[in-house]
Amino acid sequence: MKRKQVLQDLTTRFKQDILEVFDKSKTRVYIEIRPEAIIPIARYIFKDLDARFNIASGIDTRKFIEILYHFTFEELALLISLRVKLDRAKPAIDSLTPVSEAFNWIEREMHELLGIQFKGHPGLKRLLLSDKWPKGVYPLRCDYKEWDKTAIRDRGVK
Amino acid sequence: MGITTKALLKSLWVFHLSTGSCNNCDIEVLDCLTPRFDIERFGMKLVGSIRHADVLLVTGSCNRKSAERLISLYKEAPQPCLVVAIGECSMSRGIFMPSYNCPRPLDSLVPVSAYIPGCPPKPEAIISGVVKLIQKIKGK
Repeated sequence: MKRKQVLQDLTTRFKQDILEVFDKSKTRVYIEIRPEAIIPIARYIFKDLDARFNIASGIDTRKFIEILYHFTFEELALLISLRVKLDRAKPAIDSLTPVSEAFNWIEREMHELLGIQFKGHPGLKRLLLSDKWPKGVYPLRCDYKEWDKTAIRDRGVK
Repeated sequence: MGITTKALLKSLWVFHLSTGSCNNCDIEVLDCLTPRFDIERFGMKLVGSIRHADVLLVTGSCNRKSAERLISLYKEAPQPCLVVAIGECSMSRGIFMPSYNCPRPLDSLVPVSAYIPGCPPKPEAIISGVVKLIQKIKGK
């Protein structure tokens, strides 16, 4: 399939679920979708179109919590980013780990750093943060405040 | 100078610990061991276990997880254990100073004998720092 066909295929197949297609450049396309439809779309791109799952990135944009799932089509030199916007008060989305094991660790990382709930994830436990880190504090949120009273925030030079 | 200090300074064995560095300091430390700089002429060599070491060489910015490991390593080391901080990160945490994961600098966790600044320090700077460390202990 050519680049144009891939995009046309996606937009016709998931017409109701795709909110916006932003064709940024020859190699980069952002597709904003409804969060409820992430599993069928990601499964179609990953399993049927044989794209490589590169990484997912989570961002706190103050209005929403966004997740970008980056899929690459190497023979087309194309990177498709699926963008979902989640409610900031209670961010939750279906987990893609049942689709493929590749989504497992990045979902755990986004869960601990941004506090996104992945529904249906088999083991949503901590990945990177220390065991002493308090529950419910998410360091990559915009409203993160220092909780550690013993932290030293200067360079020791007055 | 007692016999233990003399024996210690004759050949310092070094244990290299990276507490979350970007590996640039680690590369410079390894560079010191190459024939070009050859730090073994001062009797120094890297050892695989802290229990064999006289010097704990620390690179990196001591994040929450590795700080626990650093303290337990320092407790396991045979005394006297000299701690050498290599690079900006292990001295003041560098750009990671406001980071949520780097709450405390190295010298608030364990006593540090020598600081070698630089990002990364050149092998010449490391050798010079090591020679100064030896001079400092000799002077005591």
